[in-house]
Amino acid sequence: MLKVTDLEAGYGGSVVLHGVSLEVRDGEAVVILGPNGHGKTTLLRTISGLIRPSAGRIEFDGKVLSDMSPADIVATGVVHIPQGDLPFPELTVLENLLMGAYLPEAWKQRKEKLEQVYELFPVLRERSRQLARSLSGGERRMLALGRGLMSNAKLLMVDEPSLGLAPFLIEEVYRKLHDINKSGLSVLLADENADHIAGFADRVYLLEMGSIVGEGTAEDMLKNEALLAAYLG
Amino acid sequence: MEKLMQAIYGGIVYGSIFGMMALGLTLIWGALRMLNLAHGSLYLVGTYIAFTLVNILKVPMVPALLIAALGTAVVGFGIQTLLLNRILGKPGWDVGSLIVGVGVGMAIDQSILLIYGPRVKQMPPLIPGIFKIGRVVINYNYLVVVAVAVISLVLLSVFLSKSRHGLAIQAVSQQPDAAQLMGIPTRTVFLIVMCISAALAGLAGALLSTVYQVQRESGANAMVMALVVTIFGGLGSVKGTIWAAYIVGLLQSFLMVYLGAGTALPGVFLFMMLMLVIRPSGLFGLGEAQRL
Amino acid sequence: MIQEESLSTQSVATRIEERLKPSAVPWSRLSVLPVVIALLVSLALPWVADLLPFGKFILHLLILFFLWGIVVQGWNLIMGVSGIFSFAQVALFAVGAWTSGVITQQLGWSPFVAMWFGPVAATVVAVILGLPTLRLRGAYVVLLTLGFQELFRNFTTQGPNFVAGGGYGLRYVPKFPFEEWVGGDKAQFLYYYLALVFFVIATFAIWRIFYSPIGMAFRALRDAEVYAISRGVSPFRYKLFLFGFVAFFTGWAGAFYVHWYGAISPAIMLFGTTINLLAMIVLGGWGSFWGPIAGCAVLTVLPEIMRAVEQYRILLLGIVLALVAIFAPEGLFPLLLRWVRRLLGRQTR
Repeated sequence: MLKVTDLEAGYGGSVVLHGVSLEVRDGEAVVILGPNGHGKTTLLRTISGLIRPSAGRIEFDGKVLSDMSPADIVATGVVHIPQGDLPFPELTVLENLLMGAYLPEAWKQRKEKLEQVYELFPVLRERSRQLARSLSGGERRMLALGRGLMSNAKLLMVDEPSLGLAPFLIEEVYRKLHDINKSGLSVLLADENADHIAGFADRVYLLEMGSIVGEGTAEDMLKNEALLAAYLG
Repeated sequence: MEKLMQAIYGGIVYGSIFGMMALGLTLIWGALRMLNLAHGSLYLVGTYIAFTLVNILKVPMVPALLIAALGTAVVGFGIQTLLLNRILGKPGWDVGSLIVGVGVGMAIDQSILLIYGPRVKQMPPLIPGIFKIGRVVINYNYLVVVAVAVISLVLLSVFLSKSRHGLAIQAVSQQPDAAQLMGIPTRTVFLIVMCISAALAGLAGALLSTVYQVQRESGANAMVMALVVTIFGGLGSVKGTIWAAYIVGLLQSFLMVYLGAGTALPGVFLFMMLMLVIRPSGLFGLGEAQRL
Repeated sequence: MIQEESLSTQSVATRIEERLKPSAVPWSRLSVLPVVIALLVSLALPWVADLLPFGKFILHLLILFFLWGIVVQGWNLIMGVSGIFSFAQVALFAVGAWTSGVITQQLGWSPFVAMWFGPVAATVVAVILGLPTLRLRGAYVVLLTLGFQELFRNFTTQGPNFVAGGGYGLRYVPKFPFEEWVGGDKAQFLYYYLALVFFVIATFAIWRIFYSPIGMAFRALRDAEVYAISRGVSPFRYKLFLFGFVAFFTGWAGAFYVHWYGAISPAIMLFGTTINLLAMIVLGGWGSFWGPIAGCAVLTVLPEIMRAVEQYRILLLGIVLALVAIFAPEGLFPLLLRWVRRLLGRQTR
C-alpha cells in the first residue's frame, strides 16, 4: 500500500536521504532500523509531507503523496506519530485526542473512536481532564499513540516509540503496537535497536547514512546477528 | 468609598477595552509567532469605518459596529494573503513579520490622515444618558461598551476551548508540527486567526470611538496598553491575557483616582518591569519555551 | 528533530570557523587609500558647500546625516547582528540629549563637559532595560523598549518643569560656544567638524565590533542560539554588552543634537522618527555594514527635499517598507549593488 521509490530529501542545502526505496504491504508491521542521525526521522517526515522531497516518489493506495500537503496526506490515511510525542501541552488529554480526529470524516466518528482509544489505553480515560503537560513520559507516549488512532489511519508511522522510556514501559508500548497491528492497521516503525522486533515485525529495513543497506524478514535479520551488530553496534 | 467605587468602575471599563485589544495580539503571537505592530492601525480602521458609516452615511450604530468589525477583518485577510503568506515559514520570519507590521501600520495611519485630515472628530454615544450611584457617575454608553466587550470575549473563549476549529487554533499555537500531522491546515488556521484578531481590533476601535474622540493617535495608544497587557498575561496565553487586562485596567484606574492621571502610565510600566523580573513568562505564561 | 539540529549546528560551526580565520578579518585587508580620500573629502566639504547656493542647507543635512548615521549604525549592530529588537533607540538618543541639556541648564556646566553625561546616562538606561529582557525572547525586548519610549516621552511631556518645559521639552539649551569662537558664519563649520569626528569615531568602533570575532559569531549564531548555549557561550552577556555599547554612542549623538539645535521636543519620540530610522536600516539592508549608512544618507535627504509631499512620502515609505521585507529581505542597497555589478560585468565582456 505504501511504496517509496528513490527518495531524496534533506534540510536546506544538505541532503540526508540518498535514494531510499521501501514498501509496506497491507496489514504488515515494518521496522526501519538505523543508528541515530542517519535519516530515519527525515524519512518519516518526508513521507508525511513535513519535508518536501527533492527527488523520488511516494505512493499510497495508488495516490501520489510527494506533492501533497501534510493535511491532505493525513486524509489519505497515512498518520505519523512524531518522535518525542509532541502533545499539545496546554490542552487536556481529551482535547488532545479530539484533535487527532480533526479531519471531518474522523470528527463524525469521534465518540466511537474515543471509546476504542480509552479501551486500549485505560490510563487516558483516567487522565482525560488533565493538561497534557502534566502527564508522565509513559502516559505521553500512550497519548501520542491514542491521538494517532483517533484519525482514520490505515498506516501508522511511529518514530522511535522506545525513546526515553524505562524498559518495562517500552515492552508495553510494543505490545500495544502489536495489538494495533493485529487489529488490521499497517505499521511502519523506526527504531535504533533490534531489541523489540522479535515477534513484532514482519519485515525489517536497515538504514545507514541515508541509504537502505539491508532488507529482509524479521527472522532472517535476527538470525544474521553479525549484520545487525555491524550496523547497529 | 466613592473613590474606591470610581476606581473599580473605571478599572472594569478599561479592563474590558484592553482585553479586546490584547486578545487579538496574543492570538496572533500564539499562532503565528508574530508581534503584530499594525494592530493599533487595525483599531483605527474600525474607528474610521464606524465614523464614516455613522456620521457621514447616517447608518445606525449597531450595524455600523458589525460592519466595522467585518471591514477590519477584510483588511486583516488582505494583509495575511497578500503579504504575510509570502514569508510565512521562511527563515527571517520574526524580523520580516515585524517590519511588515510596521510598514503596513504606517501606510494605514497615513492613508487615514490623507483621507480624513488631521482634525479630531466626535461620535455620538451608543446610548446617551447617565445615572448615579452615590456620587459615582455611571455612563450608559460605558455600560454598553463593557457589555459588548465582555460578550465578545466570552464568545471567543468558548469558541477557542469548545469548537473543533477553536481547538485547532490552540493546537497550532502550541505545537505546529504535531498539528500538521493531525491534518490541521496551518495556513488556513493562520488566516482565520488574523481575521479574528483584526475583527476584534476593529470592533474595539469602533466601540471606543463613541467614548474617546476620533483621532489618529488613539490607535497607537491602544496598542501600547495592549502590549503591556500581553506581557502581563504571558504572550500567547488567552486566559492569562483576559485576567491581565482587568488587572492592568484596575491598576491604571486606581493610580488615576488615587495618585493622579500622570502616574498611571509610569506606574503600570514599572509594575510590568517588576513582573518581567519576577515572572518572565507572565501571569499564566506557557512555562517552558518562553525563556529564549 | 535531532538530525535537523545536528545538521544545522554543523553548518553553523563551519560557517563560524570560516569567518574566524585570520585572513577573514577585514581590517587586515582594508586599503588605506579610500579611507584617506574619504576623510580628505569630508574635511574639504564645508568649504566646497560654502560656494554653492544652498551651502548652509547642505551642511545642515550633512550634520543630520552624521547624527542619525550614528544612531542607525548602532541600531543595525544590535538588531541586524545580535538580534536585539530594540524600539527604544530614539528614546536613548533623547535620554542623552535631555541629560546633557538639563545639566547645562540647571548646573550651568559647559556643553563640552555635560555632553559626556548624556551617553553615560543612556548606557545605564540600556543596561536597566536589558537586564530583565535580553534573556527572554525577542518579542519581550520589543514590548519593553516600545513601552519605555512611550514612558520617557510621557515623562518629558508631563514631568517636572525643568525636564518638560511645560510640554515643549527643552528650550534655550546652551549651544556649543562656536559662535563666540569664530563668529556666526563659520560656526556651522565647527559643528560640522565636531559631528564628523563623532561619526568617524562611532563608525570605527561599530565597524570594529561588526567584524570582530564576537560580531562574526553573532551573525552566524543569530538563528542558532541553541548551539551557542550548548557551547557555553552566554549570548546574554554579549547582548547586554552590545546594547550598552550602542546606547553610549546613541546618547552621544543625542547630546550633540541638543547643543547644536539648542532645543529638543518630546515629539521626536513619536513613532514616526523610529520608523524613519528603521526604514533606513531595512531599505539599506539590515545586518550589512554599509547598507544602513547608505539608507541613512538617502532617507535624510529625501524628506528635506520632499517636504511638499510629506504625507505621500510617509505613505509610500510604509508600503515600500512592507514590500522590501517580503521581496528583498536583504535590503535594496545590496540588491542595487548586485545590479550595478552585473551591468558593469556585462560591459567589460
